[in-house]
Amino acid sequence: MAKVSDIVLWDKPGEKVLLLGNQAIARGALEANIAVYAAYPGTPSSELTDTMAAVAEKAGVYMEYSTNEKVAFETALAAAWSGLRAMTAMKHVGLNVAADTFMSAVGMGVEGGFVIMVADDPSMWSSQNEQDTRVYAKFANVPVLEPADPHEAKEMTKYAFELSEKFKHFVILRTTTRTSHARGDVVLGELPEEIKQGKRKFGKFKKDPSRFVDVPANARNFHPIILEKIEKIREELNNCPFNWIEGKEDAKVGIIAPGLSYAYVKEALAWLGVDNVKILKLGTPFPVPYGLLEKFLEGLEKVLIVEELEPVVEEQVKTWAYDKGITIPIHGKDLVPRIYEMTTRRAVTAIAKFLGVETPINFEELDAKYEKVKPLLPPRPPSLCPACPHRNSFYAIKKATKGKAIYPSDIGCYTLGLLPPLQAVDTTVAMGASIGIAHGLSIAQNGSLSEEQKSPEKQVIVATIGDSTFYHTGLPALANAIYNRSNVLVVVLDNLVTAMTGDQPNPSTGQTPHGMGKRIPIEDVAKAMGADFVAVVDPYDIKTTYETMKKALEVEGVSVVVARQPCALYKVGQMRRRGMTWPIYQVNEEKCTGCRVCINAYGCPAIYWDEEKRQARVEPTMCWGCGGCAQVCPFGAFEPVKEGAE
Amino acid sequence: MREYNIVITGVGGQGVLTAANILGWAALRAGYKVRLGEVHGMSQRFGSVISYVRFGEDVYGSMVPEGKADVMLSFEPVEALRYINYLKEGGMAVINTKPIVPVQVSMGMAKYPSLDEIRRIFEEDFKAKWIGFNAEELAEKAGHVVTTNTVLIGALTQIPEFPLDAEHVREVIKISVPPKAVDVNMKAFDLGIQAAKDILGL
Repeated sequence: MAKVSDIVLWDKPGEKVLLLGNQAIARGALEANIAVYAAYPGTPSSELTDTMAAVAEKAGVYMEYSTNEKVAFETALAAAWSGLRAMTAMKHVGLNVAADTFMSAVGMGVEGGFVIMVADDPSMWSSQNEQDTRVYAKFANVPVLEPADPHEAKEMTKYAFELSEKFKHFVILRTTTRTSHARGDVVLGELPEEIKQGKRKFGKFKKDPSRFVDVPANARNFHPIILEKIEKIREELNNCPFNWIEGKEDAKVGIIAPGLSYAYVKEALAWLGVDNVKILKLGTPFPVPYGLLEKFLEGLEKVLIVEELEPVVEEQVKTWAYDKGITIPIHGKDLVPRIYEMTTRRAVTAIAKFLGVETPINFEELDAKYEKVKPLLPPRPPSLCPACPHRNSFYAIKKATKGKAIYPSDIGCYTLGLLPPLQAVDTTVAMGASIGIAHGLSIAQNGSLSEEQKSPEKQVIVATIGDSTFYHTGLPALANAIYNRSNVLVVVLDNLVTAMTGDQPNPSTGQTPHGMGKRIPIEDVAKAMGADFVAVVDPYDIKTTYETMKKALEVEGVSVVVARQPCALYKVGQMRRRGMTWPIYQVNEEKCTGCRVCINAYGCPAIYWDEEKRQARVEPTMCWGCGGCAQVCPFGAFEPVKEGAE
Repeated sequence: MREYNIVITGVGGQGVLTAANILGWAALRAGYKVRLGEVHGMSQRFGSVISYVRFGEDVYGSMVPEGKADVMLSFEPVEALRYINYLKEGGMAVINTKPIVPVQVSMGMAKYPSLDEIRRIFEEDFKAKWIGFNAEELAEKAGHVVTTNTVLIGALTQIPEFPLDAEHVREVIKISVPPKAVDVNMKAFDLGIQAAKDILGL
């Protein structure tokens, strides 16, 4: 099969291809003649941004990896103010970062179509909370479109640009993990001439301070404008091609299915063998188009709303029905769970209960059988990769602090330092929060260096933060800690890419998708801000890293140690592609005493315990040759024995 | 065919997503409606993973419900057992029997169940057909350990009533691996086919 970046640019209308939901959205944006795209990666939204990065130059689209969601939002918004079609994307928690601009600018509206793609993560597969972006949309009075499958995601993206342009209003395209990371058959549409020719599009900003300057006198005009727009859009959505009524026209029972829940409802009904129901398929959970709703409710005796997470549609439907004097039973969150993601099983169970029929599988029996299997299953949580340089950083931090410090950490793969045996993460809240929390802990435990009164008991605080996160929201927190005379060690785990979301570049990488950007070394920033101690270490050299940590801990004030080595996963991928090899370490049986230091203190996933021989062993397919084990072993039992795989 | 459901399980980094993608393209080229479900990001780093492949005339969601998978393709025995509740009664499990021991087991915090016990649960408690063999060994025989997933896909194509033609699947693998890796993957695919035939007595 062809490369995804080629498929997304294919000039083959009508061709059926298999695309990830996020890739389909990128294609939709191109079919809509997008001009500017800016985003910060966040699972499950990242592949949309990566796909745009891969095709932008050929398509004549300006694309950037911004340093955080707020600045990405502003970049795209300003382009939309200049009359261009623009888009930004983020994960649900990313909208919290952009929320300041989002809530204030919504009243100003846009000139060119402006689409905000937000990917929610129900069940929190890769996230720190479970929040429903549709609630944000309602809060801000911005319409939200929610696709039921990858093809619809592409089509909806085009429609979102048109809707935004027509009403000069923001539009949110909301997905969940199961649309963003679902692959499905997508039929390609027409690409505009400008995209085909790769012609960059430029806009023009027309000054209008009464619209674009958010002083109270102007802002007072915005709120009524927003409310007027959203009611007009509600009207418009009666004719939205992604909202429809289907099923038996004379049915007495109805099901309302917004977004992806439509897919689960269709599958559940087929599985139950039920067809005497009417379905309202809603591609626009906010605002619910009342005209269509009224038509749907005609002749129904009861209704079930199958929606994921918050009762956003349910509240609108019930409020409207109450005002209209409609008194038929309307079920929703009484039958459908409000937590975690929707599944076919959940839809089947809710619908079966609603209709008073049996489920096609006795799930209780299946669960009871599975309960007996569970105790046999060893846990297998995700872990820091073999050869991850920051296993060494954590190891050195733990050793230098004798495991007794408080360890605030941050969002990234290094949060996995939480797990045994490293256990070097005590707090993780939100992007950039490690430095802010570290400062707060320092003030609470020890006091500020500038104060006369201090706690007699000093607690050591070591914050860890990744390079991308450092530039995302770590910067203001570091400035705050230095300015307020905090006493903390900040270790920046610099692996030169945004690793967790798929190796996107950031200011520490320097390189952009289109060539050279300008690299900003973290140590230069720390020095310029006035940190009391700044050092750069190579975490593959564990001894020096440990010694530098010791030195940094002796300094009163804010110390910044930058531990720098490229992400191992990224490096190994590149080496594989170039046909390069690396040493594979193995255990010398003569030397291994079975002390388990490599397992109980270091914890590389490539090292396992051989129960029979009572010795450590290396799984050769997983060793990426960093040699950390050889440095950690007190008996010199790890030896590089052969060149690894190509 | 209304729908055919496959769950693929294993450890992050073993190639679970790649295998799902290959089967998805093969199904698309066979003219079916296709849905694949997968998890990216942090959950993928050497942790337990499951991917879903669904195709047919009547597929909607990207996740296979519990109790509805026609087959399971598993890259690791414990990861097969972890998702056993997805298999339907009488379903088929094609399993690489080479274990990857989790760090928690090496640390003595948990135990790794015996292969015999895992097999017994599949066959007796869940009434599933067990097609287990060391696919990694065969991959090494083919020329490279990274072809383990190709070996397993080869075996998968041989199970009774599998709706995709083995030769079609082979074509997709051919065009999705780097040109210099085609030969070793074709060899791995054949070894997988043979392994399944031997076990199934075909």
